[in-house]
Amino acid sequence: MRYRSQAVAYPYFAVALLLFGLQVAFGLLAAAKYLGPDPLLNVLPFDRVKEIHTNLLIVWVLTGFMGASYYLVPEESGAELWSPKLAYIALVVWVLMGLTAVIGYAFGWTEGNKLLEQPFPLKLVIVAVMLMFLANLLLTIRRAGRWTTTEAVLVAGLIFTALLYLPALLTFDNYTVSIFYRWWTVHLWVEGVWEMIQGALLAYLLIRLSGVDREVLEKWLYVIVGLTFISGIIGTAHHYYWVGVPQYWLPIGGFFSALEPLVFLGMAMYAYYAMRRSGLRHPNQLAIHWTIGSAVFSALGAGLLGLAHTWPAVNRWTHGTLITPMHGHAAFFGAYVMIVLAMITYALPGLTGRDETRLEGPVGIWAFWLMVGGMFGMTMAFATAGIAQTYLERIIGLGFLETQHKIQVHFLMLLATGLLFALGVALFLWDFFLGRGRPLPVPATEPRLAETAT
Amino acid sequence: MTKRGTRRFFLGGTLACTVLFVGMTIDSHRQFGRLTHADQITPAVIQGKHVWHRKDCINCHTLLGEGAYYAPDLTKITEHRGTAYLQAFLKDPSKFYTEARDRRLMPNPKLTDAEIDEVIAFLGWVSKIDNQGWPPRPILVSGAAIPGTNVGAPAPHAASNEPSEQGEALFRTSPPGCFSCHSVSPGVNLAGPSLADIGERAGTRVKSPDYHGQATDAAGYIRESILHPSAYLVPGATYSAGGRSFMPDNFGTLLKAEQVDQLVAYLRTLQNSQ
Ligand code: HEC
Ligand code: HEC
Ligand code: HEM
Ligand SMILES: [Fe+2]
Repeated sequence: MRYRSQAVAYPYFAVALLLFGLQVAFGLLAAAKYLGPDPLLNVLPFDRVKEIHTNLLIVWVLTGFMGASYYLVPEESGAELWSPKLAYIALVVWVLMGLTAVIGYAFGWTEGNKLLEQPFPLKLVIVAVMLMFLANLLLTIRRAGRWTTTEAVLVAGLIFTALLYLPALLTFDNYTVSIFYRWWTVHLWVEGVWEMIQGALLAYLLIRLSGVDREVLEKWLYVIVGLTFISGIIGTAHHYYWVGVPQYWLPIGGFFSALEPLVFLGMAMYAYYAMRRSGLRHPNQLAIHWTIGSAVFSALGAGLLGLAHTWPAVNRWTHGTLITPMHGHAAFFGAYVMIVLAMITYALPGLTGRDETRLEGPVGIWAFWLMVGGMFGMTMAFATAGIAQTYLERIIGLGFLETQHKIQVHFLMLLATGLLFALGVALFLWDFFLGRGRPLPVPATEPRLAETAT
Repeated sequence: MTKRGTRRFFLGGTLACTVLFVGMTIDSHRQFGRLTHADQITPAVIQGKHVWHRKDCINCHTLLGEGAYYAPDLTKITEHRGTAYLQAFLKDPSKFYTEARDRRLMPNPKLTDAEIDEVIAFLGWVSKIDNQGWPPRPILVSGAAIPGTNVGAPAPHAASNEPSEQGEALFRTSPPGCFSCHSVSPGVNLAGPSLADIGERAGTRVKSPDYHGQATDAAGYIRESILHPSAYLVPGATYSAGGRSFMPDNFGTLLKAEQVDQLVAYLRTLQNSQ
């Protein structure tokens, strides 16, 4: 850690991880409800559990992005953060917003629009926190008077994340139109500007972990981000096929969204290149695991499994089946969960005042493999369930309820592999809060004072 | 390529795709009205949309294939189930399904009568959206296990011009969606009773003392069942309420006279001794 204000990242990471734990707990509950019967049917029915599960995911990943940015921006710009105090205030408001949302959902206070369920007042709070966050970063950069390409891509991704949230504030009487704009937020986040963020964090981590030439990585970063938007913007259409849009979205959307995996292939090649060049001998092996892991797993979850059902002729049959969560889980985990955990594990020794050149203990590595293995198993469980469902319900024409009954065994597998995953999460949290992540009383290295602070 | 070159690739590519995307968006807005029958978005439909969101239906169900995967897709539900059935179901789902039998049960959404009518109006409007013919074949809430039932058989194409064959194809087409409530397998009762032996049953029913309808023979009974479902009510708590059948009562206007003839011809062929 080179700037004292980078320490702001620590509480952000702590909050992110607590919410991650909660998210996974609700996920297990949801899977149990798939098996049924459900003793909580009239207390906490499936819909509420599910919206808490997905909203916690989005909130904690965004919290992780914020923490990562507070860590990265001062370092890249070479200046203390403009206002650590503002960052702490923003975090408190953010946490209050998150808790209000979760409790509200449990009692049925919701806008009931998939992934954008946040009641309107909370949406305004979200916008306010994003503004505080962005202002802090931009003022830091302005005061420093310099920035790197990596940092610029990251901050641009964050600015667009905030902008693309704005359509979520609108409502339309026409359901088709409201679906149309819902995807401007959801799809253009995960397959647009968040990929920018992932790409930038990946570049930063690879530069730090492998010492590979910054110029080369940043040059290719532009290619990756370029491919993201060339394929991803029009790729939004893979959510439009069957909701009442003109026919031309099908072939055009199919073509462009089928190019999207190139982005993830690019990121995997990126990581491979860095590994080849320098062998990744950095002592923080855990951060290397998560970094390379993110590049590889997102190529599988987002790239390959996205491609699997993005073509209209396939999507026609799989749309609305368990094939969708198969891909959703693997993609979110590979791309965004793993990159945030990579940033956390990379930053942690510095943040807690530990020696950054010391080797890691085994707990973190166990957490890594349990999560990767668990998520792989869950992906397979969803895939087998989804394929069976597509066949029985969509092609043969068996009723929905009978089909769900026949594929119960896959839900058992989902629950079992989900438990493995949760064990990995528990180990990661244990390591963070009670193990290596606990701040040491006296910092081992004295943080350098900012040269530009005035 | 230099860094300048790759930056140009990024900026140029992004700009070009944004322009194309925005262009298609504008054009779509020109067409949404027609594709979605926007003129039929009545106040009731709008209210129904609010109910749909406020009650979080979307986090269990899919609609237009979007939502959650815990409960059946409802895109075409109003084609498969009539208003009377949906009203009764939404008042109390546990009358129709049980966790013991179906593993899943929809919790009572606690809607007022007005909200129920609004959400049904909303779902009715959704079912008519021109969405490239999705789903490619009907998605049923519940249908019998495969062997012996024809629930699953595709083929809404009649093999010949024979009225009974035409009727069989029609029976399996949506709309009218007869198959989503009736199986033709013995003992397999869905939302409506099995029609496995209706050809025979109809003949005995018109002669039974508790029949008070207009029909005098099997064909007449079947025709009456289709056109005026409430004329005779098959006993069963999930089939009717307050003297009103849950079978839609609008087939008289939905179907042409000759289509009704075809259905009657087909159903008459369903005999016990097959
Ligand atoms: C907690 C999950 C859940 C929620 C929330 C939910 N449903 Fe359902 N719904 C189900 C399940 C499960 C079924 C399948 C039938 C059964 O097992 O009860 C179902 C079935 C249906 C059916 C088809 C019934 C039939 O036999 O054809 C309709 C219509 C329906 N729901 C409408 C709604 C509406 C409207 C809402 C919102 C007001 C809603 N549902 C909210 C779970 C849910
Ligand atoms: C929403 C579900 C539903 C749909 C769709 C439906 N029915 Fe029915 N049908 C019922 C119910 C419930 C009954 C029993 C109550 C009654 O007697 O009306 C019934 C009864 C019948 C009967 C009388 C059965 C007997 O044992 O007397 C016939 C014949 C019949 N339906 C034919 C059809 C045909 C043909 C179609 C398609 C044009 C059709 N139904 C569509 C629900 C449905
Ligand atoms: C990190 C990147 C990605 C993430 C986090 C992600 C996540 C998701 C999620 C959560 C959904 C379900 C959305 C919903 O129903 O509300 C979804 C749907 C979908 N994704 Fe992705 N995705 C990513 C990348 C991709 C890519 C690269 C492709 C194509 C090549 C793709 C293709 C699809 C398709 C076709 C659907 C729609 C499925 C349907 O409803 O029929 N995704 N994605
Ligand atoms: Fe997408």
